[in-house]
Amino acid sequence: MRIRALPLGTFLLAAWAGPVAAQLISIRTVPISQSHQFDLFPSIRMGMGGVSLAVTDSLHDPFSNPAKGVRLGASRFFGSPGVYSVSQGAGAGRTLPVGTWVRSGNWFGGASVALQEMDLSDANPFQPFPPSCPQCDVAQILQVQGVQLPSADRSHNNAFGYAMLGMAVPRKGLSFGASVLWSGLHGVDGVDLLYPRSARLTQKGHDVDLRLGALKEWGSGRSLSAVLVHNRFSSAHDVFYFDSFWDPGAQQFSQRPRLEENLDQTNTWGAHLEYSLPLRAPGWRVGWVATTNLMSHPKIPNYEIQAIPRDPGNSEAFNLGVGISKSERSSIFALDLLYEPIWSYTWADAAAPLETAHGTTIPAGGKTIENRFRFSNALLRMGLNQDLEFDQATKGLGFQLGLAVHRIDYSLVQNDNVQATTRRQHEDWVEWTPTWGLSLRFPTWEVRYRGSVTHGTGRPGVRSGGDEVFAGDAVPTTILVAPSGPLTLTGVKVMTHQVSVSFPFR
Amino acid sequence: MTPRVPLLLILGLAALAGCTSEVTTPDPQQTIDAQLRASIGNWGIVPIGEMPAQNPAQVALGRALFFDKILSGNRDVACATCHDVSAGLGDGRSLAVGTGGTGTGVARRLGAGRQFTLRSAPSLLNAGLGLYTMFWDLRLSGNQGQFVTDPNVPFPAGLPNILTAQAMLPVLNRHEMRGAPGDVDVFGNPNELALLGDQQPAEVWNAVMQRLLAVSEYVAMFNAAFPGTGQHRFEHAARALAVFQMEAFTRTRSPFDRYLERDDAALNLVQKRGGLLFFGKAQCSSCHNGPFLGGQGLANVGAPQVGPGGAKQPPLDLGRGEHDNNDFYRFAFRVAPLRNVELSAPYFHSGAFRTLDAVVRHYNDVRKSLTEYDPSQLDPDVRTMYHGDPATTSAVLATLDGRFSRPLGLTDTEIGELVAFLKSLTDPASRNLASLVPASVPSGLSVRE
Repeated sequence: MRIRALPLGTFLLAAWAGPVAAQLISIRTVPISQSHQFDLFPSIRMGMGGVSLAVTDSLHDPFSNPAKGVRLGASRFFGSPGVYSVSQGAGAGRTLPVGTWVRSGNWFGGASVALQEMDLSDANPFQPFPPSCPQCDVAQILQVQGVQLPSADRSHNNAFGYAMLGMAVPRKGLSFGASVLWSGLHGVDGVDLLYPRSARLTQKGHDVDLRLGALKEWGSGRSLSAVLVHNRFSSAHDVFYFDSFWDPGAQQFSQRPRLEENLDQTNTWGAHLEYSLPLRAPGWRVGWVATTNLMSHPKIPNYEIQAIPRDPGNSEAFNLGVGISKSERSSIFALDLLYEPIWSYTWADAAAPLETAHGTTIPAGGKTIENRFRFSNALLRMGLNQDLEFDQATKGLGFQLGLAVHRIDYSLVQNDNVQATTRRQHEDWVEWTPTWGLSLRFPTWEVRYRGSVTHGTGRPGVRSGGDEVFAGDAVPTTILVAPSGPLTLTGVKVMTHQVSVSFPFR
Repeated sequence: MTPRVPLLLILGLAALAGCTSEVTTPDPQQTIDAQLRASIGNWGIVPIGEMPAQNPAQVALGRALFFDKILSGNRDVACATCHDVSAGLGDGRSLAVGTGGTGTGVARRLGAGRQFTLRSAPSLLNAGLGLYTMFWDLRLSGNQGQFVTDPNVPFPAGLPNILTAQAMLPVLNRHEMRGAPGDVDVFGNPNELALLGDQQPAEVWNAVMQRLLAVSEYVAMFNAAFPGTGQHRFEHAARALAVFQMEAFTRTRSPFDRYLERDDAALNLVQKRGGLLFFGKAQCSSCHNGPFLGGQGLANVGAPQVGPGGAKQPPLDLGRGEHDNNDFYRFAFRVAPLRNVELSAPYFHSGAFRTLDAVVRHYNDVRKSLTEYDPSQLDPDVRTMYHGDPATTSAVLATLDGRFSRPLGLTDTEIGELVAFLKSLTDPASRNLASLVPASVPSGLSVRE
């Protein structure tokens, strides 16, 4: 793959989009894809590019809207082991979710647990000293300074627990459900790449996702569903750096450790509506979706790689979408189109009173930098499913192909209240994700495989003095004490594979 | 719609996806801190760590020696005479007045029949950080125990740092401390140091030590500072002088240093703008770089020629060219380290400019500045020693560093910002060093006069 660098000059606004992200709108200002890490749960449509607006996904829909658990047939177990890997050695992970759906009368429920082991980028080796200090012994210096670095182990474990309970009111075609998903996180993919030149990074955080869902289905095939979501994400990043300094005692360059403690917090309230109905033409179906997310970011990390200072912030994110599907005998074609307008406002606080270019003073706690983002994202998904049935339809073989295209486009207006300047910046990129799938269905169980590869995301670095210094490159000859320039990006591919098995247990 | 149509559509788009490249956007602007930190990072400028605590007995000995005129042949000059605590550890004069002079600091005057030293007295602030070179002409260089001087002085083995090596040299210099043959000291006694030949450095050092060890208090101080040493030699005195300077003269807590320690609020906006100019348009960092913001290189910056001149081509001072037969080094002088530069006026080897504003204006258009130099900026008693004739000016400009061949084009506002940045290099603790002056010294000689 040809490696190319492109300046981005912005940062990741780490709006959380976890394992059940359908109603949570991800806000990203750098093209680091994280969704592959959280594609945990089984799906019958992911091989179709993830289309969802005009087709149902009986395996995955209950995770998005617990009320849709009513569509589950028999009670069943499932397991969906998956792996993903990022090219250029920029990360990998393995996940094993297992769970069960239970149906008893008008009640339905489910539970699932998942364990995940993820690898940080192996292209971010810690280079302890610049060439100016070749004789320095990092172990000795750490011992002298009494510093204990965290383990250099690149692998970190995440755990997920999910529970759902719902009730159907068949007489009225109504169902209701509630779910909770807890995620214990020690490694989020890509975060390490945002701290280039760090010696160690430890992540410790959690996410709690609470959902209330409702579903109304009419006999004509129409359906209306609604979800209320509350999500609380919090993660602490302990980042160790080694800073170069001149040691007047030894009269030579040396390095000393520095710990930076960052918090990444986002709280989200969201509402989501879906409506779908069959069209008059046989086999055709159309669906609409509308989502709103109100997010507060009490604390956004000070990523080493970002060049735009900010501290807290808030966002308002929406999506509007329409989907259409065509079913014909054993084939389905579906297409979704979504538009995501997002407004985000972040700022940096003054730690101490600051004099401005106008001679006025910004008091401590006042806003020194204000960033106003305006996103106009678009998402196109399309997919095809073809089933072949055997033995009087007791067995089946299915193929899926799909494509998801996600265009992120935003503009930033940044007011620097210290320098009394305003600047504007525009960024956009496109992520392409071809998907494919294969399913084997037997009378009592089924096995599904799906894969995807995402192009257009990248591995960020920092430009310094005309040199491209990527996160994984050796420490350059110059000694850097701080973010040194516009961001750069090396394109990577994210490959995901998942096999899911499900079978009824009664 | 037959399944074949969407299938082909998906396959086509998927194939297209593999060929897609990312969108490139122009480099964005950055905040002033991001710009400034990026600039700093490009020049190897790093924070200075804490100076380790020094041996108290050696510090005490070094302090006594630094302020004691007993080290000079005529017992009339101490290190502190030309490195005055009230003048930023320089003397505030265009050219230093060595032995035979009267007064202190900027009020110091040349003695009858004496000659100014070749150049101004450089500040000793932060001289103990680990510089690789010393003196305006870099005639002393080295590190980690290996030192070279020109003319060659056979240093004793095992000197721990360059500051110790430097401390062994002024007592050898007739203009600075040793005196001329026939001199008598302040008590009217013959100056025995001056009688020794210029090729007898070891004998001079031994003679100085004889003086010191004749003072019982010094014997006790040497014994305390260097216990178990069979015979105290001048290198012990030099080591103590270096240790004292490292302990007392290391001042690296300037606003800029705090900024290097990631405190964005340490510099104000004007200073940050000046910093961007320093590392950018004004090109200062092309010479003033590294951990000391200079101190390691040579450059002919077109400084006015003032003074008695060197041995090669008097009355001109060829700087490094006095030592090297290479035109490249004619009129090249040391690039001064810049921490606390605000306190070390006047500036350049000849003390030609009294203010940082004047220095920056000189750099803004070196050719014009040198050609139109106003010698009234010099001390009155050295103005007659200004060599501003066209031939000298042409000679200096002939080897002018290429970086100054064209004007920088700095505006008055930018010059002010640059000066503000240079003043941010001042450690507030270095503004008043009076507490370092002892009430008395073991020899009983005057400290204040």
